[in-house]
Amino acid sequence: MLPVQHRHETWVFRGLLTIFVFFLLMPILWMLSTSFKAPEEVFLKVPTIIPEEPTLRNYMRALTETRILTYLYNGLIVSMTNAALTTVLAALAAYGFAKFRFKGRKSLMFLMISAQMFPYAVLLISLYPFMQRTGLFDTRSGLILAYLVFAMPASIYILFSYIVNLPDELIEAARMDGADEWLILRELILPLLTPGLITVFLYSFMWSWNDLLYSLTLISSETKRTVGPGLLLTFLGEMEQDWGAAMAGSVIVSLPIILAFTFLQRFFVQGLTAGAVK
Amino acid sequence: MALTLPALCLFVLFIFYPFLRSFGLAFFESTLFNPDPVWVGLQNFHDLIQDPTFHRTWTTTLIYVLVTTLLTVMLGFFWALILNQAFTGRTIVRTVTILPWILPSTVTAFLWAWIFNGQFGLLNAVLKGAGVIDQAIIWLATPSGAFVAVVIAKVWLSTPVAMSFILAGLQSVSSEEVDAAMMDGCGAGSIIRHVIVPHIFPTLVIVFVLQAMANLQQIDTILAMTRGGPARATTVLSIEVYQKAFQEWNMGLASAIGVAWFFTIAIPAAVYLHSVFKRV
Repeated sequence: MLPVQHRHETWVFRGLLTIFVFFLLMPILWMLSTSFKAPEEVFLKVPTIIPEEPTLRNYMRALTETRILTYLYNGLIVSMTNAALTTVLAALAAYGFAKFRFKGRKSLMFLMISAQMFPYAVLLISLYPFMQRTGLFDTRSGLILAYLVFAMPASIYILFSYIVNLPDELIEAARMDGADEWLILRELILPLLTPGLITVFLYSFMWSWNDLLYSLTLISSETKRTVGPGLLLTFLGEMEQDWGAAMAGSVIVSLPIILAFTFLQRFFVQGLTAGAVK
Repeated sequence: MALTLPALCLFVLFIFYPFLRSFGLAFFESTLFNPDPVWVGLQNFHDLIQDPTFHRTWTTTLIYVLVTTLLTVMLGFFWALILNQAFTGRTIVRTVTILPWILPSTVTAFLWAWIFNGQFGLLNAVLKGAGVIDQAIIWLATPSGAFVAVVIAKVWLSTPVAMSFILAGLQSVSSEEVDAAMMDGCGAGSIIRHVIVPHIFPTLVIVFVLQAMANLQQIDTILAMTRGGPARATTVLSIEVYQKAFQEWNMGLASAIGVAWFFTIAIPAAVYLHSVFKRV
């Protein structure tokens, strides 16, 4: 903590705090404000800060005149499945890397974690024809599998950092007691790993929920679209310039991820930074 | 070993194989009209080196990444210092201001496109009201305006992440050291320079390289806000590859740009991976 003793230092501190809070929250408050305005009020030369006659019309339009509910449904299916898959696979792999010694362990782990630096659009050049050949193009399963590249490398590393700190004696003791490997993983490791698992689940959920590029390219039919491209194509297409509905739609698709965060943030920030900062 | 197999299989199929195949495709000609790849050796790279628009993309990318990354780390650093102080409502401020980071990228793009809107945007209204400008600026339709907009949008969404990492790093700065410097009569500025920055320098480096990697990969907000325009002012490498591949269907050339792009990301990635593998 820094010393703030003098009066002018207190004012400098408060000023900086206000500026940062304003910069970070103003766009979100502006989105909320616009979403509750009637069309006439959205398009004023001198905008009102707080809606004079708050209305839900934008929300009604976003919900009934667009396919936003379909996008939400697809987004939830794809993101939940991807997050579950990433969490399970990363936990298994991280446990293998952290507590077993095998040949090529280090290089294999290096290879997996370094996948973070493969340019995503470049992978897409080959994923596209690959998905078409295998029948995974324009399917939710294809998108789920393609999404692995986003969160999996970091997830393996985060969980690795957790497991590597668990004492070996604990596992040894369980083995001595005759517990088989599966039982050790399920009853001993996974419970101790809960904060890490939550972190990784949320992290991969966030990546797939928020993505635009992959979903835009690998999904072609409107009924399978997720929220990112769904929102974009709706409000660049037939509803262009309908900023009221665009902001209402933005609020709606942000709600699931905000809800998830409200409940799990405590684990999340801690888990994510624990791995990278030492 | 067996535990890593499921992950490995999916890695090979959906990450390593497409990556290597794209890498190889850089040496072939493959376009919409001739989709079957024909070996052309280094021709694609040769074309790129000769192409002035590619040079421009390259410069745009470097400026975009450097400006965005530096701003993010600096703002994240000062924001972390502020949140490290004791004040009423600190927890709620820290929780709520994480929001920019978790919003879908399309939403981020919409928010900023709406603020930067030339006719009804908040920014123009404020600037006009303050007497800074007389005429509305059509931000997203002017090259420099659009560039500023995509930089601000990305800095806005990344500042909370940078803050989280740096705040975690600040916990390891001992209060004794800060107190000792205070006793010596050092002010806040001097403590930041001589005690805090040297202490958390490794953290700052990691945050910098992670952000540089992320900014080199960044495509979503730019794609949704400007689609690389106007007049290619916001066309960075990611946008260029996407457009060459999925609008012009020139897969060979797109892959060649991708190779150059990969080796650029590899520079910050090397620093990051080095720090990760020191501890394995």
